[in-house]
Order: sequence, then C-alpha cells, then structure tokens
Amino acid sequence: MDSDIVLSLRNLVKRYPGVLALDHVSLDFRAGEVHALLGENGAGKSTLVKVVGGAIEPDSGTIRINGHEFTRMNPHLARSLGIEVIHQEFNLVPPLSVAENIFLGDRIGGQYLVDFKTMKQRVREIFQQLNITIDPDRRVRDLSPAQQRLVEIAKAVSKDVRVLIMDEPTAPLSVAEVEHMFEIVAELRRRGVTVIYISHRLEEVFRIADRVSVMRDGRYVATRATADTNRKELISLMVGRELTETYPPSKATPSHVALEIKNLSGNGVRDISFSVRKGEILGLSGLVGAGRTELAMVIFGAAPAERGEIWVNGQCVTIKSPADAIRHGIGLLPEDRKGQGLFLEMGVKWNVCFPIIRRISPRGLVDTKAEHEIAAKYKERLDIRTPSLDQRVKNLSGGNQQKVILAKALAAESDILIFDEPTKGIDVGTKQEIYKLMRELANNGIAIIMISSDMQELLGMSDRIVVLCEGQFAGEVQREQFSQNYILDLASGTH
Amino acid sequence: MPKVDISGLRKYTVLFILLGLMVFFSFTSPYFLTVRNLTNIVIQNTYFIIVAVGLSFVMIGGGIDLSVGYQMSLVGVITAMAMVVYHLPVWLAVLIGLLLGTGLGFINGVIVSSIRIFPLIATLATSAVFQGISYLVSKANTFRAYPEQFLLLTRGKVLGIPFDILLALVVVVLASVVYSETTFGRRLMALGGNEEAARLLGIHTKRMKVAMYTICGFLTALATMVMISKANTTNSSFGPGTEFIALTAAIVGGVSFMGGEGSVPALVAGVFVLAVIGNGMQLAGWGTYAQFIVRGLILLGAVAFDEYQRNLQRNRQKGC
Repeated sequence: MDSDIVLSLRNLVKRYPGVLALDHVSLDFRAGEVHALLGENGAGKSTLVKVVGGAIEPDSGTIRINGHEFTRMNPHLARSLGIEVIHQEFNLVPPLSVAENIFLGDRIGGQYLVDFKTMKQRVREIFQQLNITIDPDRRVRDLSPAQQRLVEIAKAVSKDVRVLIMDEPTAPLSVAEVEHMFEIVAELRRRGVTVIYISHRLEEVFRIADRVSVMRDGRYVATRATADTNRKELISLMVGRELTETYPPSKATPSHVALEIKNLSGNGVRDISFSVRKGEILGLSGLVGAGRTELAMVIFGAAPAERGEIWVNGQCVTIKSPADAIRHGIGLLPEDRKGQGLFLEMGVKWNVCFPIIRRISPRGLVDTKAEHEIAAKYKERLDIRTPSLDQRVKNLSGGNQQKVILAKALAAESDILIFDEPTKGIDVGTKQEIYKLMRELANNGIAIIMISSDMQELLGMSDRIVVLCEGQFAGEVQREQFSQNYILDLASGTH
Repeated sequence: MPKVDISGLRKYTVLFILLGLMVFFSFTSPYFLTVRNLTNIVIQNTYFIIVAVGLSFVMIGGGIDLSVGYQMSLVGVITAMAMVVYHLPVWLAVLIGLLLGTGLGFINGVIVSSIRIFPLIATLATSAVFQGISYLVSKANTFRAYPEQFLLLTRGKVLGIPFDILLALVVVVLASVVYSETTFGRRLMALGGNEEAARLLGIHTKRMKVAMYTICGFLTALATMVMISKANTTNSSFGPGTEFIALTAAIVGGVSFMGGEGSVPALVAGVFVLAVIGNGMQLAGWGTYAQFIVRGLILLGAVAFDEYQRNLQRNRQKGC
C-alpha cells in the first residue's frame, strides 16, 4: 500500500430504491494530488462525495482516512478529520460578512463575545496566502458568484483541510475567474492538500488534475494519470457501452415548421434561434447551467422574454404566461416532476384531467364520468401502474409519475411538447416505454423538443440537436453528423 | 410500489373527536346533552361556520386571512350605521355591508397576489387598518335597535328552522359543491397544492388568489350580518377574535395550513369541536378564561398534527 495515500475507499455500496447508486466502489487518493472524478450524470460521483463528506451513510464498505477506518461518516466527523466539501450550490449565509462566514461555527474570542479583530486578521492572512482580494467586512450577499466561491474555498482552507472536495466548482464562473481558482488549487496542492475535483469540463481536468478516475452507472471504471491519457479515451471510458438501448426510429417525414424562435432572449439566455418541425424530435443539449431549462421556460411563458419572437405554425404569437403557451398548443413536461409537474396529494385521475378540466366541464361543473373515461384511457395507453385511478400520485414510482405527467400532456392534445429531462431518475425498462411513446407522438405529427443531459438518449432519440453553451446558441447538429465528441466540444465552448 | 392509502381516515378524525367531547361533557354536566343546549350550540355558531367556510377558500388555495375578524368589525359598524344613523332601507344597508366586505377581501387578495408578501403578514397589516377605520367611522359608539326586518335574519324561521341556520347550511352545501364538483374548486386545490405546477399548467394564479380572498370577504360580510342581527347591537369590538376560532376550526377540521386540502363537513365539525368545548366548560363551571387556554392548546395541537402527518408522508416517500 502506498504510504502517501490519505483517503482510501473500499467497497462502498449505496442502494436507493430501484438504483444502485454506488456499486462496490474502491478508490485511493494520495496526499497532494488533484484527483479528478469523471462520469456522466447518474454515474455516482455526487453520491460518492456525499458519502465521504458524511451527508449520507453507505450501506456497506469502509472509508479509511489517516489510518483510521470508518464504516460511516457524519458531517461533523468528516470536518474534524480534515475533509471539506464545496458543493455545487453555495453554502454561505448571505447577510453575514465574509469573515463571519469563514469562521461560522468556530469560536473566536472569549466564551460569549466574538473577537472580530482577531477574526478579520486571520481572514486577511488566509486571503493573502491564496492571493484573494476581498474585504473581510463585506456582506456575502454583495459578492459576485466567483467571489463567493473563493470565500468558500478560503473557509475550507481555514479549517486545516486535508482533503478538499470540489463539486463542479467552476460552473458559475467566467474564464478569468476560473484561472484564479486554478491558481488556488495549485497552491493547495503544493501544501499537500488532496483535491478531489468533479467536473464535466474535460479541458479543466487536463489543465489541473494529476490523476483522473472515471465512474459509470455507480461503478468504478478506471484511473489514469492525466499525462497518459487523452480526451477520447476518457470519453469512451465514461460512456463505456455501445448504444445498448434501442431507440425507435422515426417514421414521420417532418413537414412544416411547428415552432420557430427568433433571437429569443431572457431568463439568462441570449439571442437564440431555431425551429422544430411537425413529426420531429429536436434534442436540446448543453452542460449544466447552459440555459436549456431556462430557455424552455421562456418559450413556455413561465419566465419573461426580453426580446425575440416566437412563431407557432407560421404565425408570430405573444406568449406572456403558460396559459398563453397552452392556448397555442405548447405543452411542457418539467424536469422537476414533484415540484413542478404533479399535485402529489391528489389522485391519478385528478392529475391527468386537471389541464383539460374546463374543457370537459360544461358550465364549470366537472363531468366526473368523462373524467374517469379519459383517465382510464391514458392509464391503459401508457400502462400506468396504479391500483386505482384515485390513488394519490405521491404513492407511485418515479416512472409511473412521469407517465402521469405524460398522460396530462397528451390529454391536453398539445401540438408541440417540450420534454425536460424526460427519463431522469427513471429505470431502464420504463425509459424504453417513454422513448417509444415519444417517438409515436412524433410519428403522429407532434413536434417535440427534448432537453436531455443523457448523451446516449440525446443521440438516440433526436432527429437534430441544438447545443447551448452559457446561455447562447453554440451550434446545430444534423443526424448524419451526430457524434458525442463534437456535441461535447460545442457544449463546453471549445469550438 | 403503490401502497394502501390510509390518509382518507383522517377525514373522520374530527368527527371522532367531536363525539368523544360530547360524551365527555355529558358526564360533567347533566344539562349538556339536552335538546335545548345542543340547539343553542348550533344557533350560536352559525356565523362562525360561515366565516370558517370563507376562510377555507383562502386556506385551500394556500393562503391565510387573519383579518376576517376586523373585516367583521368594519362591515358591522357600517351596516349598523346605515340602518340606525342614516336610516337607509334594510336591503340597501345589507347590500352596502356585503359589497364592503367583498371589497375588503378583494383588497387583501390584490395585496397578497401583487406585492407577494406573506399572506400572514399582509392580512395582519390590513387587520390593523380595518380596525382603525372601524373605530374612526363608529367614533367608538355602539349601535343598537335595528329595524325589525333586519332582526328577521336570525329570528325568522322557515319550516321551524331558524333562518340563519338555513343560511349557514346553504353556504356549507354550496362550498362543498364548489370544492368537489367545479373546475374552480379544482383550480383552487391545485393552487394550494402546488402553486408552481398550477402556474405551469396555465392557471392564472394571481387571479385565483384575488378570487379566493374576495369570496372570503363576501362570506365574512354575510356572517357579520348574522352576528349583529343576533346580538341586535354592534360596535367596533364585535368581530375581532372570530379569526382565531375560524382558523382553529378550519385546521381542526383538516383544512391544511399548507393548502390544497380540506372538506367542508369536517370544517363544520371543527367549528363544533370548539363550540362544544366552550359550552361544555361553561356548563361544568370551569370559567370563561380557561377556554382561551384550551383553544390555544387546540390550535397548537391541530397544527402539530397537520405537520406530523406531512412529515410522516415525506419520510414515507423518501424512505420507501
């Protein structure tokens, strides 16, 4: 065993209902290395990080750090062992000052009073070492996202960190800011800190990582020294399999343009133009934060458009609210199913028929017979597995919940459907059913926009792919030119 | 995996509590379980029922209205003054009162939906405003001796049943129908159950909010008519405090504090739970003031129970 191994994970297993999030993962991390963790969404990186940071407990396996072996962690224990995690989301207290945030939870000064002078002095020292120029007195809410990230790093460093885990730390940062963060990471490495670096951006990995480990479907795949590998190898390790899923082929000849957006801006996206035709599935690709969902919200009227036009069936339309979008035949199946798509406390029937309740209710009185028939029809057609149509949807599985949302969209008879991550968190079998249904819809003349972070799904299902990068149009790829590398390049802005 | 849904049982909890209380108080006082006393309980609580139903519209839609008691104060003195000071015809005075109450609800709705402040705070603020106006307008006077016609509202009978009981019954039945049979009821539950999902399904959430507060204002004004007719007197202190009883009754009756749920019969049972406790304690000679303590504890208990149920469901979802 190497003597310089700081953190050693052995056979970690974490099971969620229907998913093996971690499947006997073993990994070693050395002192003073920057170790990148790569993998597609759902590969298990975040779960692994959470296990190490103590946010969740593994079902089995061990975590060995500094020679001590643990079968589980908790956040406090992890901290005391020198493990610090910087999460994708910010974890600072906005109304407090920079200094207060950095020493949040640590007692500086006497038993009752905070010694602000010493506190600020120590913050200045840490900032000086890391070459950070932020006034310790400033409120965190007044800082830019990049500055907040730096404060988080400084906070971790102030704790005598031995293992620093960074989960997509550069997602909200600009290029110059990323450079500064890289310098800090290099400085930490010089000090012997182990940095575990999770990122989707391959070029970053090659810039700063010494070694890189790849995960896939909850399993550990391989570790390479960054010097001995290349982009192509890493991508193939990440994807691993050939297209194992089968994607139903298109039988429709896409006819006229159903939806066209021209120079659409707002909600964080700028100047986006594309069109989707009847019978076509248009894939919308991009990294986390590229603005795909944000764009969908603008098209759907759920977020205000600042500029640009939306054309439906050859006519320029004004969409100011979801009600307007629905009236123009647009339907949205949101990514956050529980938060945005479903009424969990209500029954299947209630949910399925809600969007069309006014249509089937003469004079405002609900026609319960029609309601039941429609719900029964879609339960059959989509094979929604539920003991009764009155079953509350919160009691259904994720796949069946997605089918309820799909039933809702179908019942509304939209001509244009926007699917936001249609198979996220859904088991393989149900995925296939959903693919089949989507293709059927397209074959019947529906225009579909599919937002997906699952590259396989995107390549398999789409007839055409539009790529976004940092809120802007990055390119459009025809089916003949489909390649994962090309799309990833466009998405990460290297093209 | 689908599970057996036992949450339906919750609907009947309040009925069991009500029956249990009635059994209990029948032991503490021989007068409790008499036709006369039970009739009294019903008659004394008709306006609470109407207010609670009004409030349930707001609560099922995910809001709250703390100002109903102060709306009653203002509507009460204005209606009384219209009759007693300005000698307007009864129908006109009542119309003015109802329109005023509807308007007050509308104002609450506009504030809550457009300024997007917490309804709790917004209606707390309008409470103070309504009360201030009420005292200014009435100059802290008490108005009594209403026209005979107006008193008929609570003293008249149809088929031997007091008119205000029928009125409350109509309100209860109508509200039940709205909740269970109409698209408006569906949209209201959608709004309270998951506002974001409702918005993404094309519900005009702002309009719905204004509508639910307006309905609440109208029903509160209607209840005010019953209240001041029954008392044959009013001043600005008539009304405040009703919001507490209506709110507690609604929550005891299973209208979720977090919106999206509720059944009207259970709500009525909730009103009677409070009424029976008040009446029973009085008959047992435990004093009026102790009632406040009990009411407060009931409100705490009911909210805690609601929260407990939610946690149970959340955990069940997560844990699988």
